[in-house]
Amino acid sequence: MELRYDVVVVGGGHAGVEAAAAAARVGVRTCLISPDLDRLGQMSCNPAIGGIAKGVVAREVDALGGVMGRATDASRIHFRMLNRSKGPAVWGPRAQCDRGLYPRAVRRILDEHASLDLVQDLVTGLELAGSRASGVRTRSGLRVRARAVVVTTGTFLRGRIHVGTHDTIPAGRAGEAPSLELATVLEEAGVELGRFKTGTPPRIDGRSVDYARVEVQPGEEGDFRFSALAWEDIPRQVPCWMTWTDERLVDVVGENLHRSALHGGALAGRGPRYCPSIEDKIVRFPDADGHKVFLEPEGLRSRELYVNGLSTSLPPEVQVAFLQTIPGLEEARVTRFGYAIEYDYAPPEQLRHTLELRALEGLWLAGQINGTTGYEEAAGQGVVAGANAALAVRGEGTFEPGRDEAYLGVMIDDLVTRGVDEPYRLFTSRAEFRLLLRQDNAVERLSGRAAELGLLTAGQVEQLEARARAREGLEEWLGGATLPAADANALLEAVGEAPVDQGVRAGELLARPAVDVEGLLAAAGASNDPRAAVPPEAKDQGWGAPWGVGHVVATERKYAGYVEMERKRAQALRRRSAVRLAEELPYGEFVTLSTEARQKLAAVRPGNLAQAGRIPGVTPADLQNLLLEVRRYEGHEKRPGSGEPAAR
Amino acid sequence: MDPDTIVAVATPPGPGGIGVVRISGAKADVVLGRLAPEAPLPEPRRASLRAICDPESGELLDRALVTRFPGPASFTGEDVVEISTHGGALVPRLVEDAARRAGARWAEPGEFSRRAWLNGKLDLAQVEALKAVIEARSPAAHRVAIHQLDGALSRRIAGLREALIGLEATLAHHIDFPEEDDAPIPVAEIGRRGRGLAGELAALLEVAPEGMLLRDGAVVVLAGAPNAGKSSLFNALAGEARAIVTPEPGTTRDALEVALSIRGFPFRLVDTAGVRAGAQGVEREGIEVARRALAGARCVLLCVPVGEDAGPEVEGFVEGLEVPVLRVRTKADRVAGDGSARDRAGATGRSGDGGADRIEALTVSAETGQGLGELRDRLAELAFGGLLGDGAPDPSGVVMQERQRRGIGAAAREVEAFARALDEGVPPEAASAHLGEAATALEGVVGVIDPEEVLDRLFASFCIGK
Repeated sequence: MELRYDVVVVGGGHAGVEAAAAAARVGVRTCLISPDLDRLGQMSCNPAIGGIAKGVVAREVDALGGVMGRATDASRIHFRMLNRSKGPAVWGPRAQCDRGLYPRAVRRILDEHASLDLVQDLVTGLELAGSRASGVRTRSGLRVRARAVVVTTGTFLRGRIHVGTHDTIPAGRAGEAPSLELATVLEEAGVELGRFKTGTPPRIDGRSVDYARVEVQPGEEGDFRFSALAWEDIPRQVPCWMTWTDERLVDVVGENLHRSALHGGALAGRGPRYCPSIEDKIVRFPDADGHKVFLEPEGLRSRELYVNGLSTSLPPEVQVAFLQTIPGLEEARVTRFGYAIEYDYAPPEQLRHTLELRALEGLWLAGQINGTTGYEEAAGQGVVAGANAALAVRGEGTFEPGRDEAYLGVMIDDLVTRGVDEPYRLFTSRAEFRLLLRQDNAVERLSGRAAELGLLTAGQVEQLEARARAREGLEEWLGGATLPAADANALLEAVGEAPVDQGVRAGELLARPAVDVEGLLAAAGASNDPRAAVPPEAKDQGWGAPWGVGHVVATERKYAGYVEMERKRAQALRRRSAVRLAEELPYGEFVTLSTEARQKLAAVRPGNLAQAGRIPGVTPADLQNLLLEVRRYEGHEKRPGSGEPAAR
Repeated sequence: MDPDTIVAVATPPGPGGIGVVRISGAKADVVLGRLAPEAPLPEPRRASLRAICDPESGELLDRALVTRFPGPASFTGEDVVEISTHGGALVPRLVEDAARRAGARWAEPGEFSRRAWLNGKLDLAQVEALKAVIEARSPAAHRVAIHQLDGALSRRIAGLREALIGLEATLAHHIDFPEEDDAPIPVAEIGRRGRGLAGELAALLEVAPEGMLLRDGAVVVLAGAPNAGKSSLFNALAGEARAIVTPEPGTTRDALEVALSIRGFPFRLVDTAGVRAGAQGVEREGIEVARRALAGARCVLLCVPVGEDAGPEVEGFVEGLEVPVLRVRTKADRVAGDGSARDRAGATGRSGDGGADRIEALTVSAETGQGLGELRDRLAELAFGGLLGDGAPDPSGVVMQERQRRGIGAAAREVEAFARALDEGVPPEAASAHLGEAATALEGVVGVIDPEEVLDRLFASFCIGK
């Protein structure tokens, strides 16, 4: 049997789901193929979304009309704003989700997409037309013809699970078969593959925990939404718990190190340093007093707890033994054992910034296959790959968010221009403009462009417009309204700020570090409330809540000078980005560049001068000389004074 | 194109009839207008005499031939102004500095040529010749150059780089990993480490003046009344009869300059016209030249023959100078008996110069060589004392290149601003914008700091990972 679509998406994890939804929203006929349609958006590791930087990505995906924000709101059972004690630029919303509710929400949201079909099957082959991908074949003999193919296989490509040194089974996740044929097919099509590993901790029965000996960690009850553009009902909230390991665990793990798949030599691939196994932790930091362990509920109706911090590939009996050394877990019963998994990934230097393979047109890769880890990183790539696949089908250009526009832009640029040597995760320190890339302003940064591309539904566009009107109303009020000194001083004294001598503009008060939007509105009083002045549909836009429009305005006023510093540096980067580097440049002949720079540039083939500058081994001097060489190569076609920026 | 207007002395330093200061960029004419405000801009490509003045004080620096080359028909393809000043090490430098303060910036090595190439003004045959210049800009070439002078400077700079990476890693831990085993590092501690780094940067800068002098030579100006023995001393120190020496007062009308090595350090010795009241015409101009020479001096040798007074004219001439004035009793051979006697006609030195406010006078004879050894020691001590003796900074920490000095200076200011911002309660993620600027400023000195290196340090230092 043969089916025809514009875009076919292989895989139904976080990348596949977003890619399919984005393509369908742009408006092309899309098909998602996954071996198990009941597990779309499955959380294979910790059922949590967000965190520092990652939470910003979740909100960016939402601002682009994606699934993740809504599904998280609809399934979150424990929420915390990480870094709340620090400035709002580095706040990281993080939610523990119900492992069962999340995929159900994903499926419900996908089913809203009229031009998206779901097919349960395993993709085993790739159809090629010359050097273009033209569709896929499945195990059950289906041929799906498509003008664009998006592959999102996660950890399934030649996945292999290890528990101890003897027990290894081919699997993409615990209990699920790996994808073997597709790996061979990709290699035959010229895609280079590498090998990574990662791990997961055991899960235990919550009824076996002594809660008197662990510390309760209540979630935050405040108003927070990952999705600012489509509001879901948020479930009731439950607590997490925390405990610490001590020297007894060090003894048990230390005696059994040789039995670990990760340390016993059974695994060759490289694992992530920021997500080390407990074996790694005690080997690398032998003098640590202990390690934090978080017990996180897997769902409202589930009794299982995810034991965060104890990723391991030791044999089952050792896992039980070390768990039972931990205060509160003396009687712990394991429901699922931890394991290490190794899998194939495709080194991402092979990709363009659209996530299309350079060597094989019509084939996009997104998610863990590109050497990343994390649901948010996968989802973000999914949106970009899906949107670009659909745009390519329509011949409508590309969507390449910049490093100053989104963590998505930082991530994809890092992947494509630098490659990876361990599974890639986002940190704020990877972003040079972290004051611009905040969780509160994802909508302001990205949703306008998303609307242009057709990534937003009519309802989401309405919300976007309402939010913009609320912002205008607030800005106008901040610039025009004056609070009498008495009212202002009552507010200022309450928050510990220096008082004023006379009436003061609302906007000046908001620039004070300790003054927040809610306090300001309360001090201004009901008769002077900007919310009264906006149209009805703009009244509900969160205002002072961390997802709301008032928070954006307040944050920018508080950081004012520093945000400006970043904007200027971002503009300089934009000027460098404007110097395009043609794909066919003969880097080998550019003798004024160092040998290393020539090799790196030839391998990566950056699209512009800014990208070239981020390639390791390309120095500022190389960059200067590169500009000269390019000008020379182009035969001085561009006249001086044309506004072309220089490489400095 | 590059929006900056750049300036540099185009002629090699050293004695010579003229020095050419070249300005290139969109604001070249604006800069010229500020240097020569009293006359209209000269016609293009026509050499015209102009009084070049300090853009701030208005003080006359030199009378020079000025030629404008409006772009694109110029060497670089941009608007170019060339100012042909009187020669030597001093006047071109003064004019260059004035142009910088009038809106240009110092050119990077090879920058005029690079602009010429970019604008298609150089042909392919010239590219090879240019290549060496371009490559000299690379940090690798820089490192080689530095190594030739002293390998330990590289070590010190590498240490700075490590400190900056460490500071960024601390910040990354603070921001990115709030829930780990190790408690977050307090902001005050991050600030303290910032101050430490700012201090190291400042320490490198402290010996920067010596570094600059090592490159260019310390200018020592001989001053005094006519026939005070300046030219004899000049020749004695230089080891050859360069200045015309006659018993007639006022023989030296112009500033004479010679490059020489004293105790292994580079000096530029400048002989000047004698100072006296009532000088007219050419002689008065010579005195003006001498006065300008003082402005660029590292040290002044005030020559007064043994048994004579300097006189009010000469005392007035050196009064208020910010550089050390070393009094030298000349013509010791003409005095019978106690030629080695030192009198205590002290001179004020710049505070901070070895802590000596009063510098003892020396008695010398150009004829017999008496006192010259001690004078040489004293000069080496005055100009390069920062590099000598106990408690002196590590001589290898000398910052040689002006560009390095500026980079380190900018970085020191930004790191200091970072620490100050933290003190004032600015959140670290915002204050870190200053660290970003510091890393950029240091790029030419320490190389690019890669986020991966920061993460490497982070993961090596902290147990991370829930």
